[in-house]
Amino acid sequence: MNKLAEWQLTLPLALAFAAIFLAPLLMLVGVSFFNDDKITEPGFAQWAKFYGDPFSYKVIGDTMLLGVKTVCATILVGYPLALVYLDAPQRLQKVLIFIIVMPLLLSVVVRTFAWIVVLGREGVVNQLLLSLGIISEPLRLLQTELGLVISLTQIEMPLMLLPLISVMSRLDPNLRDASAALGASRWRTLFTVIVPLSMPGLVAGCLLVFASSTTAFISQTVIGGVRLIYLPLLIWQQSLVVFNWPFAAVVSISLLVSVLTVVSALSWLGRRSGGYVHG
Amino acid sequence: MFSRRSLLAGATALGGTSLLPSLAHAKGIVTAATYPGSWEEAYRTVVAPALKKAHDIDLELQPLYAVDQIAKVRAARGAPPFDAFVLDPGPRITGIDGGLFEKFDGKKISNASKLPAGMIDEWGICVGAQVVGIGYNPKKLPKPKGWKDLLSDPWVSRLGITGFQTTFGTVSLIEIAKAFGGSETNVEPAFVELKKVLPKIAAVGNPAAMAGLLQQGQCDITYTNIQTVAILKSRGVDIEFVKPDSGAVAFFTTMHIAKGAADAENAYKYFDTVVSKAVGDALVQPPHNFIPVNKEVVLPPSLPMTNLDEMSTYVRHDWSKINPLRAAWIEKFNKEMAK
Amino acid sequence: MQSTPAGRTLDVEDLTVRYGQALAVDGVTLAIEPGEVVALLGPSGCGKTTLLRVIAGFVRQAGGRVRVDGATIDHLPANQRNIGIVFQNYALFPHMTVAENVAYGLHARGMRGPEVLAQVSRFLDIVQLGGFRERLPRQLSGGQQQRVALARALAVEPSILLLDEPFAALDRNLRLDMQIEVKRLQRTLGLTTILVTHDQDEAMSVADRIAVMNRGRVEQFDTPVAIYDRPQTLFVNGFIGTTNLLNGRVAALDGGTATVALDAGATLRLPAPTGLSTGAPVMLSVRPEQLALSQVPGPESWRIERGLSLPLGAQLVHEARTTDGASLKIVEPRRASPADAARIYCMLAADAHPTLFPRST
Repeated sequence: MNKLAEWQLTLPLALAFAAIFLAPLLMLVGVSFFNDDKITEPGFAQWAKFYGDPFSYKVIGDTMLLGVKTVCATILVGYPLALVYLDAPQRLQKVLIFIIVMPLLLSVVVRTFAWIVVLGREGVVNQLLLSLGIISEPLRLLQTELGLVISLTQIEMPLMLLPLISVMSRLDPNLRDASAALGASRWRTLFTVIVPLSMPGLVAGCLLVFASSTTAFISQTVIGGVRLIYLPLLIWQQSLVVFNWPFAAVVSISLLVSVLTVVSALSWLGRRSGGYVHG
Repeated sequence: MFSRRSLLAGATALGGTSLLPSLAHAKGIVTAATYPGSWEEAYRTVVAPALKKAHDIDLELQPLYAVDQIAKVRAARGAPPFDAFVLDPGPRITGIDGGLFEKFDGKKISNASKLPAGMIDEWGICVGAQVVGIGYNPKKLPKPKGWKDLLSDPWVSRLGITGFQTTFGTVSLIEIAKAFGGSETNVEPAFVELKKVLPKIAAVGNPAAMAGLLQQGQCDITYTNIQTVAILKSRGVDIEFVKPDSGAVAFFTTMHIAKGAADAENAYKYFDTVVSKAVGDALVQPPHNFIPVNKEVVLPPSLPMTNLDEMSTYVRHDWSKINPLRAAWIEKFNKEMAK
Repeated sequence: MQSTPAGRTLDVEDLTVRYGQALAVDGVTLAIEPGEVVALLGPSGCGKTTLLRVIAGFVRQAGGRVRVDGATIDHLPANQRNIGIVFQNYALFPHMTVAENVAYGLHARGMRGPEVLAQVSRFLDIVQLGGFRERLPRQLSGGQQQRVALARALAVEPSILLLDEPFAALDRNLRLDMQIEVKRLQRTLGLTTILVTHDQDEAMSVADRIAVMNRGRVEQFDTPVAIYDRPQTLFVNGFIGTTNLLNGRVAALDGGTATVALDAGATLRLPAPTGLSTGAPVMLSVRPEQLALSQVPGPESWRIERGLSLPLGAQLVHEARTTDGASLKIVEPRRASPADAARIYCMLAADAHPTLFPRST
């Protein structure tokens, strides 16, 4: 009786989900099985075209690799930041959390164009390095994968830090002391206690950063330029310039499936490590 | 500080003006698609009041990119969500091929005689021109002569290019191809030449990013349209427009009546207002910097032509030939330029 | 037990810890004998846990020294002090099995292979958890988790063992078992141990000596019996056990003996603390079991009004009120005559050792 009532309470949400999420998704799949851009002739031509072209595999690979690189960079920068946050006194924590969340408060477009100013040929980084005499020619940072990964690292950082901090601040502070009292160095404590126990947060962060960076169309094209080709650019060209929606649908589904594959592998890892925290 | 009362008074005044037309609701309404951004802004502030004044018609604007206009009318199957399209040459052909337009009756345009020849055809009317050429930073580079210069030193190492996604990008790449022996339907020479100098090229960018890249000095020369140059200049960027020696490229933005439009007659009045001298005089000024089609409009000195007839000497392209090839060109550009 | 490491001395000298402006520990000095169990007893916020954390090396002191076997350890980080600690919440590593938890400190010290296995087995057997090696902490009961925490702390053979409220999370019965168990372990290993607690019964039953702390200072450092019988400050007096307070005045002073006139109406001769003068207001503190009831009046007894009498285990607790309005508790063994209402005079029992404190009026 009660169970039934609770189940019924979720109905409106389920219906809304079906209408605004599931239905378009099914339409997307449906559209992909048409041979022509006017969506009249059913067939597998678009699928054959995309997966018959070796270039497609390169683009899928590059897109996934971009996600992996961004994830690695956000971990390298974000994990120490999370540790600093946890050690900071409460007042400083409030300031830090504001700085951490700030990228989320700015529009993607503003963040992205700000990075043009930072990474440009006459941008902040180059002017600094030039004036310090470290380089004699401006470095090329914009329109390179390096520049793209640098800016995505900043743009996606909150997605890594927020889950990481929320899991790590729930860790028993005595664990660190216990480890030290047992003779462990700070590094041993970090790698044998803190890191394993923060895995659920780390995995959640990786998941969000990966999904977000592989689909960050604006950042990818504005900072990376169009010589770096990732799946979102193909989708945009096919749907908004060439008007070939079936092909765009094929690329979209491919992006969705590749991201979901990596994401579900990650969340499987997350579930495996998830039990410890509440132990 | 504002007092509560003055705020209320202000609010009433604002509400009043927006309420008045619908209360009066005299002769009717026209729903028109317009490009988001500068077009939407210009049409809201200039065209809508002019239309109201001249014909007592309310202009309802739907900000939509060309592709969305096409898609919406296609999906509506005879009951379009708006009466009037605004399109660049490529989507215009798509619309004609898709049977999305009503036939156009030029006799209903009272300003027709003031337009240069060929501005009205059986499918629609030209409402604005775009002139494409080379924009460069005169403080960093010598003045280039033509398209070929873009791919040679010193310009090439400061060059920013865009692909076939935009109309101005497509026509520029066609012109580069022509300079190396290609044609409107053969852009292969452009690919061959670009590939040779690719490592030197400063930026291969998203069209939306080009203004920022120029502003930040990431690149100092690119192909672009004259309106973009005017806007950047007004923001204090060092940039000058150059007509290439083979001629600047012109293309026209056209308006069309959607198949099954509810207010076709009002749409004609809307087009007539858009091409009127009064509207043209306003839109040619900053911050809009539109190029008008009405010959009576006084052209500012910043434009490369002294009268609109001059534009007949500009390079034009046949988009019915380009359109079928464009998808393949975009794909080829991806592959040739990809790192 | 194969080896019994000799206990070490632990000396805390004039130790001071500041948190911002506040003094958390204020000039504490303790000299702890080898193999001794010392309880730091006090209300929360008295500085006992901070003192423990300084000894463990988690908190740096503002002044003073800590010595183990005479050598200062202040310059050593926590991981080089070789001091074992058991936390109130045990702080077991939740992602490691029982055996891995116990082996953790051994691995951290570079011990490998069969040596580790042997040591882990030995200490798991000591805490009677030999069969739980592969369990995760969350699969154990509270008492079992605590045994693991003990085994983990002891396996590295620390020089000093610190216990931070180790029994607070256990229920009453288990607490008693564990207290006995810890005491047994500590005895066999001969480990110098410091126990932090706010539970006086626990301190009394486990510790050899108790340091009663209040506001960052040690009020009294003595054996449980001495602290109970001869509290040296009013705070210790009030904090430890139940006590009756009677107001009075010094009627005469004669060497070490004071004649005190109680407001309740009796005159007593008592050993005087230093610094008393004739006529000074005083407060007499006496434990409930050190009072007796009588049917007959006398110069050293005072009239009371009897209240309820409640049996409490093997004892009988009488409530009463003096003529000047102070409430009293008197405890007698139950075998004593039943609560006859005729016994309306109260006096000190034969073996009573009440304490006099100066009183500010």
